[in-house]
Amino acid sequence: MSGSEFLPPDQISLDAAAELLCARLQVQPGEAHATDRTFYDTFDGLLRDGGRSVVHEGGRVSVIERATGLEEVGEAMAQPTRPLLVADLGPGRLREALAPVIKLRALLALVHVHSRVRALNVLDDERKTVVRMTIEEPAVIASSSRHIPLRPRLRLAAVRGYADELDRVARELTETLGFRPADQPLADEAVRAAGGVPGGISTKVELALAPTQRADAAAAAVLRALLEVIAANLEGTIAGIDSEFLHDFRVSVRRSRSVQREFKKVFPSAPLSYFRGEFKWLQQATGDARDLDVYVLEFDALAGLVPEATQADLAPLLRVLEDRRRDARRQMARDLRSDRASKLFQDWAAFLEELVELPLEDRETAGRPVAEVAGARIVKVYRRMVKMGSAITPSSPAEEFHALRKRGKELRYLLELFGAPLFSSDVVKPMIKSLKGLQDLLGRHQDREVQISLLRSLSDEVAARPEGPAALRATGVLIEHLGADEQQARAEFSERFEAFASGAQRKRVKAVFS
Amino acid sequence: MSTVLATYNIKGGVGKTSAAVNLAYLASRAGAPTLLWDLDPQGASTYLFRVRPKVRGGGRNLVRLKSPVSALIKGTDDPGLDLLPADFSYRHMDLALDTFKRPTRRLARVLDPLRAEYEFIFLDCPPSISLVSESVFEAADALLVPVIPATLSSRTFEQLEELVAHGPQVLAFFSMVEVRKSLHREVMARLRASHPGAMLGAAIPACDEVERMGVDRTVVGELAPGSRGALAYQALWLDVSRRLRRR
Repeated sequence: MSGSEFLPPDQISLDAAAELLCARLQVQPGEAHATDRTFYDTFDGLLRDGGRSVVHEGGRVSVIERATGLEEVGEAMAQPTRPLLVADLGPGRLREALAPVIKLRALLALVHVHSRVRALNVLDDERKTVVRMTIEEPAVIASSSRHIPLRPRLRLAAVRGYADELDRVARELTETLGFRPADQPLADEAVRAAGGVPGGISTKVELALAPTQRADAAAAAVLRALLEVIAANLEGTIAGIDSEFLHDFRVSVRRSRSVQREFKKVFPSAPLSYFRGEFKWLQQATGDARDLDVYVLEFDALAGLVPEATQADLAPLLRVLEDRRRDARRQMARDLRSDRASKLFQDWAAFLEELVELPLEDRETAGRPVAEVAGARIVKVYRRMVKMGSAITPSSPAEEFHALRKRGKELRYLLELFGAPLFSSDVVKPMIKSLKGLQDLLGRHQDREVQISLLRSLSDEVAARPEGPAALRATGVLIEHLGADEQQARAEFSERFEAFASGAQRKRVKAVFS
Repeated sequence: MSTVLATYNIKGGVGKTSAAVNLAYLASRAGAPTLLWDLDPQGASTYLFRVRPKVRGGGRNLVRLKSPVSALIKGTDDPGLDLLPADFSYRHMDLALDTFKRPTRRLARVLDPLRAEYEFIFLDCPPSISLVSESVFEAADALLVPVIPATLSSRTFEQLEELVAHGPQVLAFFSMVEVRKSLHREVMARLRASHPGAMLGAAIPACDEVERMGVDRTVVGELAPGSRGALAYQALWLDVSRRLRRR
């Protein structure tokens, strides 16, 4: 279905607009009625990015197209009382439409809107509806006693097979009656009026850096942006709204640690050593909860590795993992709410704020151009990885694969945070791509290592559960399959590594970053 | 995947169009995206929905699958209910179908691209035994057969049951019922006893509101909500939904 939204001429009321329309077009006016709507999106605005909104109205949850306000798919549902996950939706078209977009993210209520709405159907000579028109006077429900009025708007919805009539009505509105196309969707206008920012909070840190900028200023800017992401995700991580809060929180902590390490000579050494210790603690405090999130979320995929007949036997293992995850989350929440954590965030923010003012002695590279410092680090880490990877054979100890992977993360963050804004994307993009290919493989290898060791450590606990012996046998089968997959990852290593360490890439790295 | 329901009877004037438009309306009102294809060249369903009885390229073009059928669909006044209109050229549909190697597969193939979009597709069929009706039997999951409770109508129904012995499910219902007529009551009792599988419990009375549909050009549910006729179609739709076995 197609359609569009319009804003009436300024200072015109809903009823006056309706009168204008009735005078110009053959219109069947409906009764005015009130309706309440709640708009939803994920924390990071995934629906908005895809040109959609989710709205609850009149006992129905719908996906609507942002530009037109028209429903694409919907189903009857009571107003959600907590963040809504794909898993909370029953099978059906709504779930099919949302799952590929929001994936693991929860839908959060963004804003509540109360509207007075009136339907005006445009009729043809047979008195058949050929265009559906609604005019509405919306207001944000800021609190039970305070409504913030928004601009009235008119929505046109095409009736299938009557596109010409839709065009005609749209022309009439704009050319004769002084309406203009809406400059923003209702959801955005409402979010802004409520004091929010449409589109949610992105976890991407894409700062524009100048190559000649001082290295300490650039590093501080990047770290401040990362701290903002950490702070934005803190509450959602503690509340466990969805698994991505913790994931994004940890990625930003890890990226911060990476910048601390790679740019260590732009910081004074004593405070840096304190912050590196505290960030390491933060990473560890959230590690178990994240690992167990992954086990639980990917349990079906893991179980898929064993023969179908054995899969059901793994149920007690899932329950053990869920219990452990609950305990780990509880401990993590305690740590993140602690004075130690809040002191860290405050101190870190204050430190970054004053960094460029600090004396330059003891900070060797602080005053150098950021492109020079970052380029040198990229070359150094890349060469180190080439050396480490060249020494790896299919029979190398797991630690060597893991050590290479850790370096790979360093390089990736350097490339994303500094390489992308400072150097040619013709070089940075393919480099990130080949690195990603290698990292995916190393990640799979490491995951299998960790999974096997975790499953072995859980065996007593699984055995003690009802139906434990069968679960233990099934776990044994699973471990065997994980081991085989780990070996497979090792066998695939050399091919991925060659792409990453090719002569051409080495030349490019030398030419561009040195 | 949609369920295809055809309102069909060899005889005319038994309430096929009334059943098609009212049941399609109820299906869409229950939230199921619904299409009605008015196959009758007289275009009574199309007239009731106030749509022009015209299909670009006519019936021949439609069954030749030359252009996308979805472009020919018109929305009705009910947002969940669409119409593939009638066209006077449908009177030659038999001839058009006859030019194909497997003519009776043809209507089903026209519907194929629409099956993902609609939960229910209703076919309002012309009264005849022809290639068109054979194609309808092949395309439909169930035939909804209105039967006037008179001796001859019941005979026609029995003929139909023989005709589609290995085809779609047959769900028959009494139409234009006048309960004060003892003959109607007798025929209904007899047919329900002899065809318990096919004969539905719900029945449509002969009533003003159903007749007024042609004057007001709308469905009974809009014209006289809560009336005897409106309630009868609701009961019929409930009955059909329960008895439907998906093919």
